[in-house]
Amino acid sequence: MASVVLSEAEKVYIVHGIQADLRVDGRGCEDYRCIEVETDVVSNTSGSARVKLGHTDILVGVKAEMGTPKLENPNEGYLEFFVDCSANATPEFEGRGGEELATEIVNTLYRIFSSESTIDVKSLCINPREHCWVLYVDVLLLECGGNLFDAISIAVKAALFNTRIPKVRVLEDEEGSKEIELSDDPYDCIRLNVENVSCIITLSKIGCRHVVDATLQEEACSLASLLLSVTSRGTLTCMKKLGNGSLDPESIFEMMETGKRVGKKLHTSLQKILDKEESLGTTRQKVSD
Amino acid sequence: MALDHRRVPGPEESQAPLLYAVPGQAAPEAPGREAAALRPLLARAGLLSQAEGSASLELGGGTKVLCAVRGPREAAEGRGRLLCEFRRAPFSGRGARPRPGPAAAARERELGLALQEALAPAVRLARYPRARLELTALVLQDGGSALAAALSAAALALADAGVEMFDLVVGCGLCRAPGPGGAWLLQPSEAEERAAAARLTVALMPGLNQVAGLLGSGQGGPPESWAQAVRLGLEGCQRLYPLLRRSLLRSAERRAAEADPPQS
Repeated sequence: MASVVLSEAEKVYIVHGIQADLRVDGRGCEDYRCIEVETDVVSNTSGSARVKLGHTDILVGVKAEMGTPKLENPNEGYLEFFVDCSANATPEFEGRGGEELATEIVNTLYRIFSSESTIDVKSLCINPREHCWVLYVDVLLLECGGNLFDAISIAVKAALFNTRIPKVRVLEDEEGSKEIELSDDPYDCIRLNVENVSCIITLSKIGCRHVVDATLQEEACSLASLLLSVTSRGTLTCMKKLGNGSLDPESIFEMMETGKRVGKKLHTSLQKILDKEESLGTTRQKVSD
Repeated sequence: MALDHRRVPGPEESQAPLLYAVPGQAAPEAPGREAAALRPLLARAGLLSQAEGSASLELGGGTKVLCAVRGPREAAEGRGRLLCEFRRAPFSGRGARPRPGPAAAARERELGLALQEALAPAVRLARYPRARLELTALVLQDGGSALAAALSAAALALADAGVEMFDLVVGCGLCRAPGPGGAWLLQPSEAEERAAAARLTVALMPGLNQVAGLLGSGQGGPPESWAQAVRLGLEGCQRLYPLLRRSLLRSAERRAAEADPPQS
């Protein structure tokens, strides 16, 4: 993760402030920074989204392609995740620097989406065992300003919400050979149901309290963080401890309760924004087309 | 070579026979088990001659993990580093032999990182500046709770190597039975893990009562259910702690006896 150099005095300042529920930028311990979500930013993709969370900027593009289902699940399509840490984000990511971080993010995304109820993968199947839709989700880190996982999960959810998969029909000949026909109407497509897609909430332990949405400076002061993936109903689907420090069992239980509260709020506001963007439809202002 | 029409050509790619098993052939029902029952554990430290520290951990029901520590070796950077590698033997799993590919390598890297994050709070890396410790965990047979066994074996191996640590790290695996209101089971077997709705591994430093590592995924339900699972796991870790300490003591006694053999 991008690192920032902090003096001891600055660290003490941050820790003491958090003790009094007052962070450097005036937020409370459970407040997010201002989140900007924009969907349908890249026209060549099946779905895309851009999320700006403070100084963190994430761009996600989803491309739907036809492929063969995996052997273990012949009646389902699947998702593939790729993360690219661009060198624009921080100079540390130049060359192969960002590979470790990219692997960690990809593995966390797979872990969340491997749960059966997240996305209805059966709807992505065209012909059992032969054809299915494969959704390639590409995440680009444009700027790294702390709290990457949260921003990425919001962007992935928004991009999947925005994804439009064209409807196909399967025609069968007398000999049994199948032909796939794409419908002529470009607006005839299936949409994904992202109600059960969870959002990641990272809670960083600083001093004896924990904060949501840590900036780079706050991340440098925290020894350990807990990554939770919360659904809109308040259930947890993934739990992971990050960082080189240890956590007290009681703090873990407190963090889980905070994560559930914050997660539910985040889901409702995200869904409101996505529905609003959707309702604007073609009247939405675009800078270039 | 001309196609030989008298022979039946097999498929071009090899596949495991289990893929063609008829679904519904359930294995004989295992007798119900107590949720908090621990599997018998066999831990041995100091068995490899080529590594500074080593440990082997076996859980009843077929999980075998071997761990080796090399170091401290000289490194260029300023801070001490612990590098962990988690590997599975190709024959360790029940299903098909895994195809070496990016997916398998990425999963092993994730578990290696999880190992490193769980052991980092326990090791006094500040005492090893400009040095690196290399730890390799090898799963010989995966009978359930492999990551938890690897965590305990890794901590034993580090202690056996004489690396300064704050406390041993004990790992415990849990899984949640499928179905609504499924109960959390401690140290699941391979069959239970496969059918589970959610899996969790906790790593605890029992002497300090600090959670060193936590990795879980699946449909575990509301936070209360996960909290109950974490409590069960921590309790299991506390119960395993004396067994690991005893194995360390035994290996130290064995080493001392080899160093100066008793006068006959």
